Amino acid sequence: MPTMTYLEAISDALRQELRADERVLVMGEDVGAFGGAFKVTDGFVEEFGEGRVMDTPLAEAAIVGTAVGAAVVGMRPVCEMQFADFVACGFDQLVNVAGKTHYRSGLAVPIVVRLPSGGGFSGGPFHSQNPEAWFMHAPGIKVLAPSTPEDAKGLLTAAIRDPNPVVFLEHKHLYRRIKGEVPVGTYETPMTARLAREGEDLTVIAYGAMVHAALEATTPEQVDGASVEVLDLRSLVPLDTEAILATVAKTSKIVIVDEANETCAAGAQVAALIAEHAFEQLDGPIRRVATPDVPIPFSPPLEQAVLPSVERIRDACRDLLAY
Amino acid sequence: MPAETSSPTDVTMPQLGVSVVEGTVVSWSVAVGDVVEADQPLCEIDTDKIVTDIPSPAAGVVAEILVPVGSTVEVGAVLARIGLGAPAGQAGLRAGPVAGEDDSAGGAADIVSPAPPARSASAADASDSAAVSPSMPVVQAAYHSPVVQRLAAELGVDVAHVVGTGAGGRVRKQDVLAAAARVDDERPLHIESPYRPDDESEPTGQLSRIRRAIGAHMKRSLDTAATCTTWMEADMSRVEQARRDAKASSLLGVTALPIVARAAMDALGEHPALNATLEGERYTRHDAVHLGVAVSLGEDGLIVPVIRDAHAMSVEQLGLAIRDLARRARARQLAPDEVRGGTFTITNPGQFGSLMATPVINQPQVAILDLEAIVKRPIVVTDDAGNDVIEIRPQTILGLSWDHRALDGAQAAQFLGAVRRRLERWDG
Amino acid sequence: MATQTAGPAGARDPAAVSETSLGPSAHLTAADRVELLRAMLLMRAIEARALTLYRQGRVPGSFYDGFGQEAVSVGAAFAMSPQDRLCILHRDLGAHLVRGVAPPRILAQYMGRASGVTGGRDGNVHFGDPALGCVPMVSMLPDMMCVAAGMAMAFKLRGEPRVALTFFGDGSTSRGDFHEAMNWAGVQRLPVVFVLENNQYAYSTPLSKQFAVDPVERARMYGFPGVTVDGNDVEAVFETVRAARSRALAGEGPTLVEAVTMRMHGHAAHDDMRYVPPELLAEWAERDPIERQERRAASLGVDVEALRAEVEAEVDAAAAEALAGQMPDPANAAHGVFAVGAPQPLGDGRAPWSGFAAEPATAVRDPLSAGAGTDGGEQRPAEATV
Repeated sequence: MPTMTYLEAISDALRQELRADERVLVMGEDVGAFGGAFKVTDGFVEEFGEGRVMDTPLAEAAIVGTAVGAAVVGMRPVCEMQFADFVACGFDQLVNVAGKTHYRSGLAVPIVVRLPSGGGFSGGPFHSQNPEAWFMHAPGIKVLAPSTPEDAKGLLTAAIRDPNPVVFLEHKHLYRRIKGEVPVGTYETPMTARLAREGEDLTVIAYGAMVHAALEATTPEQVDGASVEVLDLRSLVPLDTEAILATVAKTSKIVIVDEANETCAAGAQVAALIAEHAFEQLDGPIRRVATPDVPIPFSPPLEQAVLPSVERIRDACRDLLAY
Repeated sequence: MPAETSSPTDVTMPQLGVSVVEGTVVSWSVAVGDVVEADQPLCEIDTDKIVTDIPSPAAGVVAEILVPVGSTVEVGAVLARIGLGAPAGQAGLRAGPVAGEDDSAGGAADIVSPAPPARSASAADASDSAAVSPSMPVVQAAYHSPVVQRLAAELGVDVAHVVGTGAGGRVRKQDVLAAAARVDDERPLHIESPYRPDDESEPTGQLSRIRRAIGAHMKRSLDTAATCTTWMEADMSRVEQARRDAKASSLLGVTALPIVARAAMDALGEHPALNATLEGERYTRHDAVHLGVAVSLGEDGLIVPVIRDAHAMSVEQLGLAIRDLARRARARQLAPDEVRGGTFTITNPGQFGSLMATPVINQPQVAILDLEAIVKRPIVVTDDAGNDVIEIRPQTILGLSWDHRALDGAQAAQFLGAVRRRLERWDG
Repeated sequence: MATQTAGPAGARDPAAVSETSLGPSAHLTAADRVELLRAMLLMRAIEARALTLYRQGRVPGSFYDGFGQEAVSVGAAFAMSPQDRLCILHRDLGAHLVRGVAPPRILAQYMGRASGVTGGRDGNVHFGDPALGCVPMVSMLPDMMCVAAGMAMAFKLRGEPRVALTFFGDGSTSRGDFHEAMNWAGVQRLPVVFVLENNQYAYSTPLSKQFAVDPVERARMYGFPGVTVDGNDVEAVFETVRAARSRALAGEGPTLVEAVTMRMHGHAAHDDMRYVPPELLAEWAERDPIERQERRAASLGVDVEALRAEVEAEVDAAAAEALAGQMPDPANAAHGVFAVGAPQPLGDGRAPWSGFAAEPATAVRDPLSAGAGTDGGEQRPAEATV
């Protein structure tokens, strides 16, 4: 099995789907000739042509809206917002047109909107967001957030093949930092959660880049020898309720990590689910570690202070373990 | 770091009578930082019946005084806290570990986790100042988390008897599971051993030191005494009735143990031969009953703290004393004197469902009373018209192991009969 | 190609729109012209009946109609082939009728019945029957311009001789999506027809408060022509859109067709439109599109009264059928948020224009049968053609 970076895995998925299905097209700003702001589509236009690797005008509403149009006449568009933050400019098309059309009319809208998300490198308030909660809240939109290269490829493939609008969060921090084994060929990863590490004493629930922070924060040496389970949600809509409740039943102590702003982040929904459906499994309060409700600041000491750190995750786990 | 060396002892408002629900602090005779002995009076409490001293439950240093003079608090409220060990030099009696303080005395004054810890104010820890991280909740004394309650109910474990290894001595899920797993392992074992606060568990593959010590004492007891056991069945209807009434009106615990203990105190008054010790050739009858109560310590076996002058205590007082000793026993907060000097022992492992046992006598005493499960059974009862009818009654089998060197079977049976009579006529 | 009407921004003076610049279309047979009238009559009759039902409390929510604007949607839709695709808006009921949506389903839709086009999921004219190639509108106008551009984009990518069309109003040209769609369509030279229904008012906002430059002029700035047509002349509208469609098929890109008309009723049934000068309404009443087409039909020897009666009878029957329909089952309220399985793309619609009958591939279908999709429903590897 080859080893590749998270970014390479995403490219691999796109390339394979473009080859396998002529209905697939990639569209976004600078994705064609330039190969994409992060080089995800480097070399694509040479192989697939300008029609299918489309350099669009700077127009997020139209990127999403035209993708909807193309999708309802049989295409499988994969749009890219250059940074997740810019999805706000296409919010109306995504939430009101793409999200609501099937419910109202039975007309499916098979589009993917790829969002390079997340902070940690002085991107500042407009290049560092994790906007997944906005779309978890909008009916009719699926939301995926892989943390490993293998899952990135498999989930993107699944997203492209899904008949629904799918928001696909690619964490920029993981693009080149995370490498892993990725199966050759085509496969779909199920839209379920994954156990990143099994444990007995406490579970950390996280997704995206925070999975890696959680793993780092909870090695036995960090937590006085305790055995900490890490659940990688991978899919936010649909949310793997079964896996969440199973891990609560197992360890009874839960720490939820969100890199997104705390209020109404994905973790808030997970916490509410647990409190409602697994009350009798809990041996301690549900703890959350999240970015406070601030725009992500630019200067490194400020940014590091707000994003959940390995230390904060570790300390929350230790507190709860001792409870 | 073992929790037992730094968990404080609560001084709680006692219930001085069935109807007492609150008391007012009249005066404090100690201050924060004072060294106190066990039993030393700490404060005066005025209930609507009496003004009384509250003796310290433990030796140590007054860590906190929570209720000022003139305040009225409910029975069970925490009045003060006593920490173990020597006093701190400074007023360092804040919650949480203070960074950089290497003073072992300071460690004793620290209060571990129940109160929100004050984080060390290192500049590098900016994440806490920027992020609002909630603190862990204060553990209330009798609170059990949802999973603990559920598991205890499902597994038939009496949470009151489970040793807690969580923050502040709280019972955790693992503790309940461990308690349930041990149900079938043990016969009641008794030791009279000095309290050993420094015991640590041994590596697996070998019995722990405590286990071996307990085993040695058991063996010695069986080798020394001529141990016999007599059983008698008792109808516990009135006792159960009293328990239901008690629950509604007071803090009386939900077990029958203090009621049986009170009945045993009375019966010992009539049969003093059973309230005696035999050490070698020396045989002593005692006037006072210093009642040993067997407390399970989970993995660490059993310990038998002693209620002094139990013969003078009401059921309510016995109930409180038993709970207090059990709690402190599990938190490893018993003073050494509290595990010595017993003249009679009672054990109550019936929560696990066993009906009868052959308890081992607690040397150098001559008898031990065993209370097992109370089980509903159909029994024959003679009604007022003289007819025999079958009724369903809660029954228990009282067991008494006794030393045939000091007693004979008739005395044992008479004692048991006296206990039974009192239980069957119990009227609160 | 029609001439542009350049003029100052502001209410369109009806006299300024030349009726004679477009004679009767050379492309319309007599039967076509009657069919155009019939569709307009049906639209008006359905809306009138729906308004009555609304006033009887049988139509929940709000009620919108296109009274006085029937020529725009009927004329434009008439020019679209079965394989073309439409985004239809709330004053364009005629387009749905031309495409083949049955009147009982429309009335049931207003009343929120299970037999309505959306099964109660959306209300009034927020519907589109995907089986007939119609995309349901959203309330955020003109979002559908982007969607239409996207459909056209796919047609062009696949080399298909198909066109997308959307309607939108004067008010919605002020929103960003208008600009993004116009720009995109112009940059990519997409086969899309943007039909701007200029009915003088967006709710209570007149044109003078809506834009400083006429949208039809702005089209040129996006790289394609803007054409003005008398929106109350159904044959002129047809001809203009037909020509725009031909342009698109020839690879010449988009056209903005401004159909000038007047909103004769309020913004919705709850609006008494007191802000509209009565003399303006009186002027436009003289130019009622249905009356105009009736005169043409009469001159062709058609019994217009009989036609009216036929349409009324059809609407009566439709109303009876719709009123007999059940309300939707609340148990299903949360179903269908997500699609499962292979997505069904838009199907083909009805295209009654005789010009299409001449082309073998465009047989007129029964509007009530679910149109079989001609768009790809399954994955195909890159070598195959659509």
